[in-house]
Amino acid sequence: MIDYPLLIFRVLVFPGFTFILLFTMFCDWVERKVEARMQNRMGPSFTGPHGILQPIADFIKMLTKEEITPCDSKRNVYKYAPILALSVLVFAMAFLPIDGSSVIPGVSFAGDLIFVMALVSVANFMLFLAGWSSTNPYSAIGAARVMTQFLGYDIPLVLLALVPAFLAKSLTISTIVASQWLPFAILAPWAFVLFIITMQAELEKDPFDVPHAESEVVAGHETEYSGGKLAFLKLARDVQIVFGAALITVLFLGGANGPVPFGFLPELWGTLWFVLKVLVIVVLSEYLTVLFARLRIDQVVRVNWQFILPLTVLSLILTLSLAYWVYPMV
Amino acid sequence: MPSNGIDILKILEDKLQNKPVQIVPGTLGTAAIITKSGSHRDVFQILVDADEKTAVVSITGIDLGENLGVYYHVRTSNALLTIQIEVPKANPTLASVNDITPSAAFHELEVTDLIGAVFEGNPSSGHFVLPDTWPEGVYPLRKDVNACEVKLDPPAAEEKSDDGKLVKIVIGPQHPALLEPEKFVVLVEGETVREVRPRIGYVHRGIEKASESRTYLQDVYLVERICGICNSCHACAFVESVEKILKLEVPPRAKYLRTIILELNRLHSHLLTLGHAGLEIGYETLFQYFWRDREPIMDITEILTGNRVISSSMTVGGVRRDLKETDIPKVKAVLSGLKKRLPFYVKVYREEPTIGLRMQKVGTLKRENALKLGVVGPVARGSGVDIDVRKDAPYEAYGEIPFKVITYDAGDTWARMNVRMDEVEESINIIEYALDHLPEGPFRVRAPRVVPAGEVVNRVEAPRGELFYYVKSNGTAFPDRVKVRTPTFANIPAFLTTAVGEPLADVPPNFVSLDPCFSCTDR
Repeated sequence: MIDYPLLIFRVLVFPGFTFILLFTMFCDWVERKVEARMQNRMGPSFTGPHGILQPIADFIKMLTKEEITPCDSKRNVYKYAPILALSVLVFAMAFLPIDGSSVIPGVSFAGDLIFVMALVSVANFMLFLAGWSSTNPYSAIGAARVMTQFLGYDIPLVLLALVPAFLAKSLTISTIVASQWLPFAILAPWAFVLFIITMQAELEKDPFDVPHAESEVVAGHETEYSGGKLAFLKLARDVQIVFGAALITVLFLGGANGPVPFGFLPELWGTLWFVLKVLVIVVLSEYLTVLFARLRIDQVVRVNWQFILPLTVLSLILTLSLAYWVYPMV
Repeated sequence: MPSNGIDILKILEDKLQNKPVQIVPGTLGTAAIITKSGSHRDVFQILVDADEKTAVVSITGIDLGENLGVYYHVRTSNALLTIQIEVPKANPTLASVNDITPSAAFHELEVTDLIGAVFEGNPSSGHFVLPDTWPEGVYPLRKDVNACEVKLDPPAAEEKSDDGKLVKIVIGPQHPALLEPEKFVVLVEGETVREVRPRIGYVHRGIEKASESRTYLQDVYLVERICGICNSCHACAFVESVEKILKLEVPPRAKYLRTIILELNRLHSHLLTLGHAGLEIGYETLFQYFWRDREPIMDITEILTGNRVISSSMTVGGVRRDLKETDIPKVKAVLSGLKKRLPFYVKVYREEPTIGLRMQKVGTLKRENALKLGVVGPVARGSGVDIDVRKDAPYEAYGEIPFKVITYDAGDTWARMNVRMDEVEESINIIEYALDHLPEGPFRVRAPRVVPAGEVVNRVEAPRGELFYYVKSNGTAFPDRVKVRTPTFANIPAFLTTAVGEPLADVPPNFVSLDPCFSCTDR
C-alpha cells in the first residue's frame, strides 16, 4: 500500500524538488561567498542577510529577461536541452539518500549506482547539445571541449565509483551508505582524493574549466543563451555541482550517517549531516578553484591519460587487495 | 651614457665619404643625417652591420610645403639618429628599408596611411590606421586637408577571402580577451595558429593632428589622454620636448617629483598587467590580489598630484603641485607595506605550477628576433636585450638614482611577466631613494607661452617600453608637428611572429604579456 500524500510530499517538497532547488541556491551562495572572501572581496551582500537570497534573485531576474533564439539554431534541441539537463540531474539526485532513504521510497534497486552514473553522462550530453545546437562558433568549440573533457574523465570517475562498491560488496547506493560505519574516505583515502580531482574536471571547475574559458571561447556552450533558458542552464550547472558533492558524500563520507546516532527524528538529523558533508565538499572544491589557473585543453587531456587514469587503476588494485586481505582482519 | 665602444658617427663618416650624405651632430638626437632617397638604404645597411641593436624607433612623416619629409628615427646601442629624407609631394615614393631592418615595416605602413609617402617594397593593403571608409588620396596629416570637407566612402561589403584549409577566427574588435577594440584575424589549422593579420585604428582619435591646433600648454593635457595608464609618461615626454626647444632648465626638486610620479605610473601599470595576465589564464584569485594591492598606489598618486588616474601634474617648467613634507611618511608607509607583500607574489609567479604550465615556453621571442623587430620595454628585456631609456639616455633624476635593469633570457610570456614583477621592486626602491634625497627649492619655473622655432626628439621609458616624441615648433604658440610613437605599436610585430605555430589557447596569455594598450597604438 503506497502512502500517496507522503509520496507527493517527498517528491515535490522534502527531500525532493523544492528542497533540492533551495539547497542548490544555498550552495551557490556559499560558493560565491567563500570564493569572494578567499579573493579578498565581499561577494553577495545586500539581498537578504549576508546576500543569502542573491542566487534566487538572479534566477528570477533572468526569467524576466528577453529570450533570443538564433535563427540558425536547431530550435527544438536548443529550447529543450537546458530543461532536460536540469530534469535529468534532479532525477539523479532522487536516487541519493538525502535523509537516510532515497527520495521516492522503494525506488532504490540493485545496481542503481550504475544507473546514476549513466544519468550524469546523459546530463553532460545535454549540455553538449545545448552548445552544439546554438550554431555559434564559440558555443561549438565550448561544446566540443565539454565532450572531449567528459569522455576522458568519465572513465576514471566510473572506475573510482567502483571502489566504494567493492568495499561495500554492492552496487546499490543505499547498501553502500549503510555499510559505511567508518567512511570509505578513511578506508581508501587515495581513491577519495582522486575522486575529488576527477569530479572537479567533470564539473568543469578550475583548473579544468576549459569549456568556458572566457578569454578564448566567451561563455562556451552558454554563449547564445539568454533569459529563462539561460536561467535553467545555469541552474542545471549549479545542481550538477551539488550533485557532484552529494555523490562524493554518499560514496565516500557515509551519506546521512552521523558520527553520533540520535534517537528522535532520524530524518532530520540525517539531512543535517548530509547537508553539512555536502557543504564541506563544496567549500573544498571551491578552494581548489580559487587556488589554480586554468589549464589548456591539451594539458587537461594529458593530465587525465598520463596521471589520473593510471593512478585510478592503481588505486583500484590497491583497494581490492586491501579489501580482500587486510580489512576483514580489522 | 653607457657606451659599448661603438662610435657610430665615426663609422658613418668613414664609410659615407662620397655619398650625398650630410651628418649634423647634436640635432634630433645624437645626430641628424640628411640624405636623399636611395642613399638612405646605404646608411641603414652600415648601421645594421655595425650595431646589432639598430632598430627603427619611429618614422615621422611631415608636410614641408612642396615636399614631404620622411624622418627615420633610429636607435643604436648608444645613440639616437634621425635620417632625414625629403621627397616631392607630386611623387612621394622612396625605397623601403623593410628588408634591411624588419622593425621599419609597421612604421612605414602608418606613414603611408597618414601622410601618403609610398614605400617601394612594403606595399600597403588598404588602410592601416584610418577607417575603411576613409577616401583614397586624402592624407589627414598634410596641412592642406580640411577635416570638414572630407567625404567618407560608403561602407564596403565584407570581402570573402579564401584561405583554403585554414579556419578564420576573428579576435576583436569586441572580444573578452581584449579590453580595448582592435581586430586580429587569426588563421588556424586545427588548434594551431598559422597566421595573424592585424587591423589597428579602431580607437584612432587623431591626437597628432589635433595637437597642431592647440597651444603647447593645452597639448600637455591632450597628449596625457593618449593613454590612461601611462598618462604621466606622455605628459612628461611632451613637456621635456618643449623644454628642450625652450632650452629651459627644470629645477632639481621638480625633476625628483617627476621621477616619483613616473615611477608610480610604472608601479600601478605593472600591477595591473600582472593581475590581468592572471585573468587571461583563468586565475581570478591572482587578479583580485594584484588589483587590491594596486589600489593604495592610486591613493598615493592622489596624495601627490590630486588625481587618482590622469594625474595632470606635469607642466612646462616643472610640476603643478609640490609634495608636502607631512605627506612623505604616508607615501613611504604604503610603499613599505607593498614591499612586504612582494616576496609572496614573486614566489607565486616563479613557482606556481599552473602559471608555469600556461606561461612557460609560450610566445617565445628569441633574442635575435627581438633585436630585429625592434621591440621595447619589458618585452625586449624578457628576451635578454638590456635596453632601458632610463639607463641608456637618463632623463629627469634617473641619472642620479641607482637601479638595476632587469633582464631575463627565456623570452617567453613567463619571462616577460617576471621582468615586470622584478621591476615593481626596483620602482619602489627608486621612489624611496627619491623621497630620501628630495632636493629643496622651487618645484617649477615660469615658461614662456610662445616657443621659438626648432625641432627635437625625446624618449621616455613608459611602463610598456620606450615612448618616443618628435616635436617641431614653427615659432608660434602652436606646434607644427607632434609625432608620438607608443611602445605597444613597436611591440605588436612581436606578437604577430610569436603566435604563429602555437595553439589558439596560447594567444590570450601571449598577447597580454605585451601589456597591449590600443588607445596608445592608435592615438
